[in-house]
Amino acid sequence: MSFATIAALLVALLVAAPVAAHLLRRRQAEEQPFPPAKLVPPTKPLARRRSMLEDRSLFAVRALSVLMLAVLGATPFVRCARLGLERKDGASVALAIVIDDSLSMRAPLEAGTAAPGKRTKFERALASARELATGLRSGDAVAVVLGGAPARVALASTTNMAAVTGALDAIEPSDRATDLDGALALARELLRSVPHADRRVVLLSDLADGAPNAAPLGGGSDTTLWVPLPELEATGRDCAVTRADLRSGKVRARVVCSPEARPVGEGAGVISASAGRAVELKAEGKVLASAPLGPSVRAEEVALDVPDGAPEDLTVGLTPGDAILEDDEAPVVPAGGALPIAVVVDVASTHVATGGPPPIEQALTAMHLDAEVRPLPAVPDHADELAAFAGLIVDDVPGFTPEGRRSLSAWVERGGVLLLTFGPRAATAPLGAGFDPLVPGVVRWGPSPSQGADPGSAVFFGPSAEGLGKLSPDGRASFDPAAATNADMLARWDDGAPLLLRRSLGRGAVFALSLPLTVDESDFVLRPAFLALLDRFVGTARARGGARQIDVGDAFTFDGFKDVSIERLPLRAGEARQSIPVVEQDGRRRAVASLRGRYEVRLDGERAIRVATVPEREIDLRPRRVIDAARAEELGGVAPSIDASPYVALGLLGLVVLELFLRAVGQKREGSASTTA
Amino acid sequence: MAELRPSSRSGKDGIPIDWGSLAPLRLRARTLAEGVYAGGHRSVRKGPGVEFGGHRPYVPGDDLRFFDRRALLRHDRMMVREFETETDRALWLCVDATASMAYRSSRAPGAKLAYGALVAAALARVALSTGDPVGLAWLGGRGTLPLPASSGREAFDRVAGALEGAAAAGDASTDEAAMERALAPVARRARRGAVIVLVSDFVDLPERALSAFSALAAGGRSLVALRVLDPNEADLGFSGHVRLRASEGDVVVETDAEEVRAIYRERLAGIAERWSTELSGRGGRWVESVTDQPPADVVRAVVRAVAEARA
Repeated sequence: MSFATIAALLVALLVAAPVAAHLLRRRQAEEQPFPPAKLVPPTKPLARRRSMLEDRSLFAVRALSVLMLAVLGATPFVRCARLGLERKDGASVALAIVIDDSLSMRAPLEAGTAAPGKRTKFERALASARELATGLRSGDAVAVVLGGAPARVALASTTNMAAVTGALDAIEPSDRATDLDGALALARELLRSVPHADRRVVLLSDLADGAPNAAPLGGGSDTTLWVPLPELEATGRDCAVTRADLRSGKVRARVVCSPEARPVGEGAGVISASAGRAVELKAEGKVLASAPLGPSVRAEEVALDVPDGAPEDLTVGLTPGDAILEDDEAPVVPAGGALPIAVVVDVASTHVATGGPPPIEQALTAMHLDAEVRPLPAVPDHADELAAFAGLIVDDVPGFTPEGRRSLSAWVERGGVLLLTFGPRAATAPLGAGFDPLVPGVVRWGPSPSQGADPGSAVFFGPSAEGLGKLSPDGRASFDPAAATNADMLARWDDGAPLLLRRSLGRGAVFALSLPLTVDESDFVLRPAFLALLDRFVGTARARGGARQIDVGDAFTFDGFKDVSIERLPLRAGEARQSIPVVEQDGRRRAVASLRGRYEVRLDGERAIRVATVPEREIDLRPRRVIDAARAEELGGVAPSIDASPYVALGLLGLVVLELFLRAVGQKREGSASTTA
Repeated sequence: MAELRPSSRSGKDGIPIDWGSLAPLRLRARTLAEGVYAGGHRSVRKGPGVEFGGHRPYVPGDDLRFFDRRALLRHDRMMVREFETETDRALWLCVDATASMAYRSSRAPGAKLAYGALVAAALARVALSTGDPVGLAWLGGRGTLPLPASSGREAFDRVAGALEGAAAAGDASTDEAAMERALAPVARRARRGAVIVLVSDFVDLPERALSAFSALAAGGRSLVALRVLDPNEADLGFSGHVRLRASEGDVVVETDAEEVRAIYRERLAGIAERWSTELSGRGGRWVESVTDQPPADVVRAVVRAVAEARA
């Protein structure tokens, strides 16, 4: 039994002291002789009444006084539950507070099943951010970054604390995936411009970003990372219905369950959270069909028959509940099929030594991006042929004919997404072939003066950017400066030349990579960044092409429409329709879906339903590691320096005054009662 | 007289009488008695005697010695002369001196036993002044001196001395035979026509006390029961929550006085009703008194009750 336990027991005894005092004071009535006592009937109920508390308010005040006295005495051991900052020599600090607003932060703070009224990790994180902001002094700078994917800046560095409070008040929980690397990069970027010597990134997250085995957070940066709340770290098990499609009379629900969190290196065996759970097809609160889940599901597609005469609004849910209730239910939408992606690859030049399809096709298949890969021998010349595809990847482009360029640009403008990778053929383009307006200017191929890309410039690739430092290219394509005009440089070589460009064209986009997708020319296809590129490409194709279904956090795009409005439809009874703002960014109209569910879109008067689903990588509650220094006590903690004794003493004084008042009132009442008697 | 089981509160030597303002007994008793005229109490009982008591028709079996020949000759009717029978006019005072009689509240001038002794002494004085002998018997008590019926100049001093020397003691509540033992000398010595006055609080007498006392009426004796209560006992003079302990027996009661006052009074009246009914049926009388009443009124009430009982 620890000292704290003994002390707590003693305090409990002290709190009981007023009751004991009352009982002692109560004592039995003084005995009086009375010969005919046997003629007097006893009154037991009154005797019992005497043993009850006579003055509850006075008792409560005294018990509280004792408790506060105990707290006052134990002040050295009492720490206010307030997140505080330790300063170096009292100097001002610049903080970038990263608040994880992803889906996994909706889990309850205490382990177990989520339930209404339980405090969530998000709420704790937000409250801690407020506590931090409250403890800041004049001269401190604060920035706020949101860690839900994609990472966003909620507030740039400022010394205006009112603005900080306003920004924190505006933060809402979301169903996004987690992008800690992006958020930390943003936070560091924000801190870079402040003059403070002490710069810190405060990470308030459950650290479950779907990459538990990635490099520990906080390493490789001169900005201090502080992860102050270990209680936020993800625990528990969760299953989610990420999507539910209606195809030919069956609902196919994709169920993803989190693997059990266990230390890295303890084996790959996972225990799913699916044991004892079932998938239910519901409509209007009634269960239409049900199927049990396997005992160890990681990701599975469950088919449920839709009964005849079923209503249109169907949902698929999991039962019973788990750590995150919000992802246990998903609306059923008519399936649009897998996203068609066309790939034009010269099999002869991009073969791999182990055989099989080209690397691009193997990667797309392996990544399970819900994309249908269709290899094409050549780029279709006609726009109608391209209309069947949402994305097109052309490897080692030799150039396009004018007709081909026209049809491609028309297809892109209508929402197609094109990935062009440039290789040696770019230098041998036939006469009249070119890339304009897809990639303005001339593309040249030549030896590469650099051996790798600048990882710091490749935020687009996320944590995979680290591998781009050494690509060992034999050669690389170089673009005209015109190509980079009005284009996003998503990655650059370490000499500053563009490695990957993205140009928006109409409702679509064109990615231009200055390397071909072959192992003969560079190691790019062997790097994780290659897979990240494909992931982003497919995601963009899904979003740009007016995809019916996107991941939460992505944006619906509405290029080419004049009148656009979008509302989130209620998922549960009692919820209201929620209007989503449509913003114009980079000349494109888009609306970000931060919550899962059905969205009703009105495009120039036409109604359409689109769906935002939970990203599968978010259904992984294994926390990512952080460097030990990020939890160092010298950075701060739960306010050891905050002395609660003045407040306790003040409260005690108030209680004493209250007791005196109650006693005075009680005596007055007794006096008037006796006068009346 | 066999002693009663000692009360847990009375101790070995009993509780000395708390005379309060009722002392001195002799003087106050004489004063009281002077204000009370008992009057003559000739016996109405007819029978052998010296004084002519009137005529009645002859019935076969009558003693021919009392046949009135003159009446036969004068009125032609057979008549028998009657004479007043000689009766025992002794007053027997039976005083309850159990522990409960020592009770005195702040509202009372003295203890119940003191009050009862004063009334008894006054009654003795009244009886002696009319030539009736006075005897004394005790129920419980310590240092009590039973006295045979006697008259004469020194009888009052003996009675008063015996009353003064008594101390309250003993528990009669659980001793069923206590009353029989106390009244046994009276039953043996009191003859037809004697008056027996029982002075008690009647709150803790055993169940058989009433039958034992009322049985004395069988021998042509007159019975008067005088209940002496303290003012507190008469109206349960407490307020609020009280814890009460009986003087006799181990009864302890915790109660709310206001809440149970009516029930208590009802039970007290029940005792009086039972005794009064039983005594009335046997020609006896029931007199109630409270120690804050003027003793003279009580003495008069008892004398009146005695007269009624003898009538």
